Formats: sequence, C-alpha cells, structure tokens
Amino acid sequence: MAEIHKEVYGMAVATDLYERLAAHGITRRDFLKFCGTLAAVMGLSQTAVPQIAAAVGEAAGSGLYPALWINGAACTGCTESIAQATQPNVADIVLDILSLPQMETVMMASGEYAEKAGEEYAAANKGKYILICEGAVTEMLDGNVLRIAEKPYVEILQHYAEGAAAIVAVGSCAVDGGWVRAYPNPAKATGVKAYLDANISNPKKRPPVVNLPGCPVNPLEIIAVVVNVLLTGDLTKILKDPVKELNLDRQNRPKYLYGSTIHDNCERRGHFENGEFVYQFGGQAEADNYCLYAMGCKGPQTYRHCSKLRWNNNMSWCVASGGPCIGCGNFNWVDNNTPFRQRMRRIGAGVIGGPGGLGIAKAGAIVGGVVVVGIGAHALASKATHRIGKNSTLKNEEMKTYDARKLKKKGGSADA
Amino acid sequence: MHKPLKEMHPPVFIVTHWINAVSMLILIMSGLYIHFPAFSGFMGAARGVHVFFGIVIFLNCLVRIVLAFFVKDATTMGTREKELDIRNWLPQKENRHQFFPMLRWYLFMKKDYPISAKYATMQKLAYIMIAVMIIAISYTGFCLWGVTNQLAIFAVGNNLVSGLFGFGGGGSLMPMRVIHYCLMWVLIIISLIHIYIATMHGFVAWRMIFLYKEDPDAGEHVDAPAQA
Ligand code: SF4
Ligand code: SF4
Repeated sequence: MAEIHKEVYGMAVATDLYERLAAHGITRRDFLKFCGTLAAVMGLSQTAVPQIAAAVGEAAGSGLYPALWINGAACTGCTESIAQATQPNVADIVLDILSLPQMETVMMASGEYAEKAGEEYAAANKGKYILICEGAVTEMLDGNVLRIAEKPYVEILQHYAEGAAAIVAVGSCAVDGGWVRAYPNPAKATGVKAYLDANISNPKKRPPVVNLPGCPVNPLEIIAVVVNVLLTGDLTKILKDPVKELNLDRQNRPKYLYGSTIHDNCERRGHFENGEFVYQFGGQAEADNYCLYAMGCKGPQTYRHCSKLRWNNNMSWCVASGGPCIGCGNFNWVDNNTPFRQRMRRIGAGVIGGPGGLGIAKAGAIVGGVVVVGIGAHALASKATHRIGKNSTLKNEEMKTYDARKLKKKGGSADA
Repeated sequence: MHKPLKEMHPPVFIVTHWINAVSMLILIMSGLYIHFPAFSGFMGAARGVHVFFGIVIFLNCLVRIVLAFFVKDATTMGTREKELDIRNWLPQKENRHQFFPMLRWYLFMKKDYPISAKYATMQKLAYIMIAVMIIAISYTGFCLWGVTNQLAIFAVGNNLVSGLFGFGGGGSLMPMRVIHYCLMWVLIIISLIHIYIATMHGFVAWRMIFLYKEDPDAGEHVDAPAQA
C-alpha cells in the first residue's frame, strides 16, 4: 500500500476501479470530484486527492475490514442515510471496503439464520472486526425495554463490543442517546460509549469508540473515517493510539469532521455578518436567502460539516433548503436545542431539560423589572424618610464612637 | 473648606473603573444584540467587539485585583490617611460589625447610617462579588468562544454544566450559553443597585470615581457613603 500512496493513482490500480465505476455509470471525473470533497472535508489540501484516489482504488471492493452493524433504539434513519442513494454511487464503492455481512435492516437473511450468521462472523473475526452501532442503548428494566432475538440489546451490544477491535457509534442516538433520550427519557437511553464505560470495568477490554454524532449520520462521515484509516494504512498502529491517529477530540469525534461549526462554513454567513436576518418565513428576507439566526438557527453552536458534505447525493442541506439548523450534531440535541425556532433553551419548569418553562428573555425581563421597581420603591421611601441627599448620613465622629463602643476599645479607622 | 476626597480613589483605580464601566456597557449591548438581533445591522462587528471587550474586562479585573495589594487609598471619606486597598476592600475587623446595622438601615429599621470605613461592609462584599462575577462571566464566555472552548480548562466547564443541568455530558454549548446570559442579568442587577446606592447621597461619588474631583459642596457632610 505504501508504494501506491507515493504514486499518483497508478493506472494499474485505477483501471480496475474505473471499470467498476463505469459499470455503475460513474465517470472518472465524478470519482475525483468525490475524492476532492473528501479531501476538503478532512481538511487536507487538494494535493491529497490522488492519494485518496489511490488508497480507495486499491482497497475498493476488497472487503478489507470486517465489520458488523448492529441496531439499538433508533429510527433506522442512519441506515437509510447510508442507503440513501437511488442508484449505486461512489460512496457505495468506498463502503464496500468494509466487509459488512451483518446489517439487520438491509441484509437478506432474517430470524435465526441472521443471528447465527452474525455470531459466526464475529467469532471468526474476533478481535479484528469493527463494530458499527446505530441507535441508543436503553437501560430501562435492565435493558429489557429493547429486546432483539429474545435478548436485551444491552447484552448484544456488550457481547459484540467485547470482541471488537474498535467501535464506531454512528448517529446521535448511538453517541449519546440522541432523540431517544430526550426528556423525560422514559427508556433511560444513553450512548454506546457511556454504557460500555459503565459496564466493562476493565478499561483495557473496552475497544476505542469513534463518535459520529448527527441525526442522521452522513454517509460521507463514515466514509471519511474509512479513508482516514486507509491513508494511515496500518490498523494496528491506529488501534494503539486511535485518539492521535484518527485525530479524535475530547468527545471522541474526528476533529476533521467536527472541528468547525455549521456557521463557520455556512453560505449565508455573509448575511449574518452584515446583520441581515430572516425574521419570519414567507417574506422578502427569506427570498433573499438571508441568515436564519433569528429563526433559531443553531448553526453557531453545532459542530458539523453539513455545508460541505451536504445530503442526498450532494443535493442540498438544511440551511441551503431554507431551514434553520436544529443542531442535530449537538450532544443531547433535542433537549438542548428546543424550541428549535428560538435562540435559546427555555429555563425553569421542573427539570431544566423539560418542556414548557420560561423564555429566557422573559425571565430576564421579569427579574430585571422586579429589581427596577424595588429600587424605585426604596428610593421613594428613602426620600420620604430623608435618607436621600447629602445630609442623610451620620458624622464620622458619631460613627467612630459607635465603632469604638462596638469594639470595646479605642479605634476604628476613621480620621480625626 | 471641603474635606479631602482625592485619596478615596487613586487615579489608577479611576482608570480601571472607567474601563470596567465602558466595557460592561459595550458587552451588555453587543451581547444582547448577539443573543437576539432585534434589528438588522452589524452582527460581525457586534461579535468582534464582544470578544475584544470580554478580554479587556477580564484582564482589567485581574489587574485591579493585583493592584489592590500594592496601591494605597483612603481609609475613609474625607481623610488623607491611607492604607493598602485590599484592607479597605475586604471586611475589616474594625467595621465587620456594621454588616447587620447597615442591612437594617437599608430596610428602614435603623435611623443612623452606620459607616466609618471606606466602604460599608455589605458594599465590600458586593464588590468582591463583582470581581467574582466578572471572572465567572469571562470564564463562561471563553467556554463558548470557538477559539478557546476545546482547551482543557474550558472543556471541563462545558462538560460539567451540560451534565449538571440534565443536558447530558459531551460539552453541549447550550447550557453554557444560558448561564452566560443569566449571569449577565445578575451583573446588570448588581450594577443597577450599585448605581442607585452610589447616588443616594448625591453625586459626590460620581465626581470622585469618574473625574477625580473633590466635591466643593462636600465640606459639611463628607460622611456620605463612599461608593466607588
Ligand atoms: S443560517 Fe445559521 S449557520 Fe448560516 S450564517 Fe446564519 S446562523 Fe450561521
Ligand atoms: S445543518 Fe444542522 S440540523 Fe441540518 S443536518 Fe446539519 S447539523 Fe443537523
């Protein structure tokens, strides 16, 4: 692999890949454009494009990395996101680098056969496979709130996790419980990492977790990680220090995917800086594609790359289609970002994460109002009792006597 | 002849107070605009200015605290007798007992105004609070600022509050935003009360702290509380 990395995508490698791409109706140009997007997303310069192309070219379709995809409590949106292509596309080619026989929602097998196949595959690849988790971990009723094939999901997760080389938590649900754990979180949902940290006591037995939050995950986010692994080349080296090799941040997210906000790369940013906002849908400002900040856009505090990655085969993304970002790449994003159309979370109302509560501006205004009225009342009363004005205070001498009496000694620091 | 007042606030503290007052005003206005831009205009500028003065007010606060250990000022109003500012700032043995009498005075339960030190004891506590508040707001601000929020010291805070307030860990920024915003209101309220109390007894304190002027009318009643 190393030689190929140094080469500009060598023809021998490329021909095979391009033939297969052509069979899917994808031109060489499409492919390079795709690699260019990846390079941009990963924060690499465009000179890395040939490198990416070569790495993908060599590994494509090889089923290089054994992988298992399991589903917890989720809407299957992440699976759909991966399968979003209406026709096979470049992304599929890269995803083929993973050998992924077990993916409940889309695989042919079902029932006992499917379970058995998964088991056997895991046993055969013990310690080598990558476990991809979609969906929240639900702990209610000892995990029995979600049972698959007569076992609680928590058990399945723990079992597969213990044999995995690494785990990729795809989508917000797997990362921290996602919308499933939104208030009042009746199923006691949490994320894969939190669950494993609490339930596999020996940290050495816990495989590293890469978090890819988002609701849903973008296929390109998974692909970027795969390409990252390909470019590094050596899986053992990566597993030794995944934080460094995969460039993970404090929340185990690859920095190149989650290092800047939606807002940083938003195409409406110019309008934001100029203070040109949409204040209601349906007006001229909206027609002019003004910034959606005043409509509650959570772009400024959401770390994700949607404007570059885009959705549905590069078609569009939330803000481009006129919708404020609702911050689905955030942690505990539903509780944190509702009301979606307002700038900030409401406060009060029982648990702070709950619905209802007081708009924060209103709360500020009420407290501020009470203080102003209080000061006013105090001022009036002070005026009436001659406490206001220059002649309203004790003389130093009198005070000093008072202090001295209090201290039962001569003193106080007043002047003579 | 009026009594000496210039020693109340040495020039360097007049400067730090000016910086504080101006920064606070700009921070509140730009902050409110950033929170919700009620009219179109200048978001880019508002954000730039907000961050700039955020750093200014934080550094100013640190400088002011350090100076308190080196600069001397008047022990009380109307004297040239001085001592280290930090002694005047913290509740002193000689006047700690004034706390409750002072509270009673403000609540109309006491007729005489019980102050003999530079600041009243309650006032001293309030001023300590202000320094703490400025540091706290600055901290929450740096937790939100993209340039600094992945630094360990701020990431810890984000994790802590997002966990604490039931928003789940992971360092979501929303709880910190809410706290940053609420602290601003607390500071506004403290400032309103501060201005009110400082003005209760006329504008002597204003002339001292803003203009470094001794009040020509303050001759007979210099015992007005020495608000800063
Ligand atoms: S639409 Fe949202 S992300 Fe885009 S500039 Fe405005 S606030 Fe930022
Ligand atoms: S723009 Fe915001 S709401 Fe839309 S997918 Fe990206 S993070 Fe989620």
